[in-house]
Amino acid sequence: MKIDFWGNEYKVNVVVACTGGFLIAIMSSMFGFGGGPFMVPLMTVVLGLPMYVVVGSSLLAIFFNTAMATSRVISFGNVDFMLFGLMAAGAILGGMIGPKIAKRLNPLVIKRVAVVGLLILGLMLINVIPTPK
Amino acid sequence: MRKKVVLLVAVLVLGLPALLFASGPVSAGQARITVSLDKEVYTGSQTVTIKGTAPKGKPVYIEIASENKVKVSRLDTKTDPKTGKKPYIFYTTKDIPAAYTMLLPTSDAMEFQAQQKLGKKWSVGAMLKNCGAVCAYLIPAKADVQRYQASILATIMGSKGNVLPAMDGADSKKATMPLLKTRYRWPERIFSPTVNVNPDGTFSATYKLPESAPNGAYTVTAAVDKDTVSAPVTFTHNLSFGRFYFSTAGQSMGIIGPFLLSLVVCTFGVLIGAGGGFILTPLLLFIYGLPHTVVAGSVLPSVLFSQGTGIYNYSKIKFINWKLGISVGLAMLVGGFIGPKLTEIITLSQFKFLFGWVLIILAAIMYWQTTPGRVANNKKEQAILKEYKKRAQADAAAKTVAAPKTA
Repeated sequence: MKIDFWGNEYKVNVVVACTGGFLIAIMSSMFGFGGGPFMVPLMTVVLGLPMYVVVGSSLLAIFFNTAMATSRVISFGNVDFMLFGLMAAGAILGGMIGPKIAKRLNPLVIKRVAVVGLLILGLMLINVIPTPK
Repeated sequence: MRKKVVLLVAVLVLGLPALLFASGPVSAGQARITVSLDKEVYTGSQTVTIKGTAPKGKPVYIEIASENKVKVSRLDTKTDPKTGKKPYIFYTTKDIPAAYTMLLPTSDAMEFQAQQKLGKKWSVGAMLKNCGAVCAYLIPAKADVQRYQASILATIMGSKGNVLPAMDGADSKKATMPLLKTRYRWPERIFSPTVNVNPDGTFSATYKLPESAPNGAYTVTAAVDKDTVSAPVTFTHNLSFGRFYFSTAGQSMGIIGPFLLSLVVCTFGVLIGAGGGFILTPLLLFIYGLPHTVVAGSVLPSVLFSQGTGIYNYSKIKFINWKLGISVGLAMLVGGFIGPKLTEIITLSQFKFLFGWVLIILAAIMYWQTTPGRVANNKKEQAILKEYKKRAQADAAAKTVAAPKTA
């Protein structure tokens, strides 16, 4: 598939893009996150697209996934609306605060903190680091 | 002569109570055991003191259940010893009490510990049977359980599978026990061998309402055997200030906690250039012990909002390639249809295990992005991104200015 973006033409391997997208969608909708942190590397590293093409388009792609998954979890009755409301309020406020403090922080340090944090959480989940019952 | 008198006395002493007992269940089954509480209304996680009288020398079991109910589902993947096949039957009910406790007599402490020692392999059914507590297993036993024959194809199609015929009373009761375990997971969350039974038949016990206990009405019922069950006594639980009952999660929580957690995690999420869902989910599991289906289900919709605003902002400056986004999006739409069904089918430990590895892979990807080569590459990419964005913004601004002229 050929795409045209701001005057530049790029070739995209649709089979890889859709298979990868499909698998990432199952995973992210299963565990309740967006899928962006996996979609962006898929489109930039695996498909070789430049970042400026990917930022908006990957967001549109994962929106399809999240919208479908949301309608599914609502129909299953697995959404606690009170919990959702509280967390949505926190998320909106966080979305406003985040960009303001981002300029003062070193993105590389933040990313490394995230790596350590994710690793600890991951190891806790697979029970390598013991957790309370 | 003396021997005969002794015999007569012995017959009378042993026989009279036996006679009374024999007539008991028929005449006054309910009247033989009574139960009372120290208060009618409790606030916060107070302790309920339970007292009562039962027939002498009998063990007493006390069931305490909230009238709030929650949905619980499980997929039976335990190999059938007869056929050697895995049944893959999906059980679901909406009638499991959101708080449930069974107090056992102190004499059952050994049986209780024996089940605890089994770890994950303990069973509600064995606990009830070994302790003789089946007679007090009343409220969950009445739960309406539906069964479905699950299959891989049905799961992909997004259904629970074919409905299996309704179970009869005994089977249905049996099916509720693993569902109760799915909800409460550990023996000590349901059972507690703390009923003191005195030789004169009086008994006493205390029950501390858990921190996460729902508000509303609770029923307390004491039982000795299946014919000797007390009339249920009710009490009301009011939550302390700032705590609310989360009906789908089936527990009460302070409202500040989840809000602050989401605020901190999502702020951090913005800083690392991703949402916060993948950090929020494990934290909610660990801190509040919520069911994984509810955690994933409640985090997902909040992700939708941030994505929506992001798309809107990008589309304003025409920074989305619709052809690429929609074609990959359609594949993801199908994935998003299947994923939530899988969450329902897997157990909490499977969920944790799989999610743990997802996070470890993500950590590896993010670590790779911080290696010097990738950082340099990213800087270049970001510079190009900035330049194009500037161009796009200027273009969008020019168009809005130009628009009135053409109109």
